[in-house]
Amino acid sequence: MDSHAAPLRTRDSIPAQAGVGLRFRHHQEVLEARPVAAWFEVHTENYVGGGGAPAVLDAIRRDYPISLHGTGLSLGSAEGLDPAHLARVREVVERVEPGLVSEHLSFSVAGGNYLADLLPLALTEEALEIVCRNVARVQDHLKRRILVENPSTYLQFRHSTIPEWEFLARLARRTGCGILCDVNNIYVSSCNHGWPASAYLAALPAEAVGEIHLAGHTVRRIDGARTLRIDDHGSPVAPEVWALYTEALARFGPVPTLIEWDTDVPPMAVLLEEAAHAFVLIEEAKIGNCRALAA
Amino acid sequence: MRASLVAHDDRGISAHVIDAGMSPAERLDVYRNTFASVLTTALRLSYPAVHRLVGLEFFEGAARIFIQASPPRSACLDDYGEGFAEFLSDFEPAASLAYLPDVARLEWAVTRVLHASDVEPLDPRHLAALAEAERERVSFAPHPSLSLLRVDHPADLIWRAVLQEDDDALSAIDPGARPAWLLVQRLATGVEVRRMSESAWRFTAALFAGRPLAAALDEAPDTEASALLADHLAAGRFIDFGLNETSA
Repeated sequence: MDSHAAPLRTRDSIPAQAGVGLRFRHHQEVLEARPVAAWFEVHTENYVGGGGAPAVLDAIRRDYPISLHGTGLSLGSAEGLDPAHLARVREVVERVEPGLVSEHLSFSVAGGNYLADLLPLALTEEALEIVCRNVARVQDHLKRRILVENPSTYLQFRHSTIPEWEFLARLARRTGCGILCDVNNIYVSSCNHGWPASAYLAALPAEAVGEIHLAGHTVRRIDGARTLRIDDHGSPVAPEVWALYTEALARFGPVPTLIEWDTDVPPMAVLLEEAAHAFVLIEEAKIGNCRALAA
Repeated sequence: MRASLVAHDDRGISAHVIDAGMSPAERLDVYRNTFASVLTTALRLSYPAVHRLVGLEFFEGAARIFIQASPPRSACLDDYGEGFAEFLSDFEPAASLAYLPDVARLEWAVTRVLHASDVEPLDPRHLAALAEAERERVSFAPHPSLSLLRVDHPADLIWRAVLQEDDDALSAIDPGARPAWLLVQRLATGVEVRRMSESAWRFTAALFAGRPLAAALDEAPDTEASALLADHLAAGRFIDFGLNETSA
């Protein structure tokens, strides 16, 4: 990666800067006040069909790069993808022409029901086949590369045989998809399962990482002593996650980074402040890369 | 995991979950909570007036039972909540609120209209080419952002007063059984719910069902059909037209 190159600022591509997750409560403000934000990411499923929300996104899209982040394709479903949902996603992609399209390493559909969460997979060779097949199908259907995000998980299956980081690396190698590295999710899952977070980052293929997510999480105490970290996107990014993000930037170089906040969404100014902090770290990483090159 | 989330039945999955430091049930609770709270929120967003009429606690209780019985079939949560009105009409604790299912039916129609596809309306000038004799055989395709609804209670008045938080208007409504014929339509400014006369509604319903103009007129002979048709055309309520073999 050429760290001297100016970030791409075209209407279409997502710059290697810090963007913000755009939620409905900020639609009017973005339309009227045009805040200085590098880019926005929205949830694909919130813009299916017609009417007000897609029209607002059309207007915002004229001035900001947009990334589409899906939650409903269920890439881990052994029963295959829901063709109706894939068609809906394609309609949104064709309408928005986003800079990036992403989904999750998880499943959310079983027995024909949408289970409204990003559910963990048993990470086996068989599951890898299924996810590779589904990702390839999505990429064929959308005629573009997608990014696949590591989820936060609260349980592991006994019969899992592949570490999550290796699963993602092999998925990227086999399908050509990119990786959306959610640093908060790595931290949350690592705390919950005793994984080595730094080693997780080190195991991801740097060239495949196309985006980073940052968000807040909570620590849930169970019986006073035991804790489980919950990825609820309802608070500022934790200091430990900022530290891990710095490691990620050192390894992956400057990557488009998103601040996500979905529960008790604060004023846009708070989100932009978090984005500004990420921006500083991206810039520092660029300087670090220059020094490394000069040395 | 489906049984675990929907029916709270962990028997199939527990043995496969690593229990280090925490039981499978405790771990599955995290996903169960998300499943229930995301879908309850989706129902609350689609049924805001029902929510305010019954209060949060009652709504959440009803939602939980509905979610367990009718988990979503689509990953688009805007599509979730069909059948909630029928559920409420059979829901014993809500039996004293006879108008509640009608308010829910109206809110479902509003939700569908709100998210319907954007389609160019029919340009009325395209009808100019029709010969006079052909007019009674013409039929129309309705715009997807429209819905016709007949309610047995003044659900529209209740819905509006509740969402506008207009307590005076709400207390002035007689919620007793008295039918109303409604047109729900999406405008640039939002969704409008309009009352129609029974005959105008019947004429419009026949047209929306694709019946030829002459047959629609038979449905409601006393209606101001030409003015109504002109209004539908001017308001962009059709997206296409066709000529039927017969006028029946």
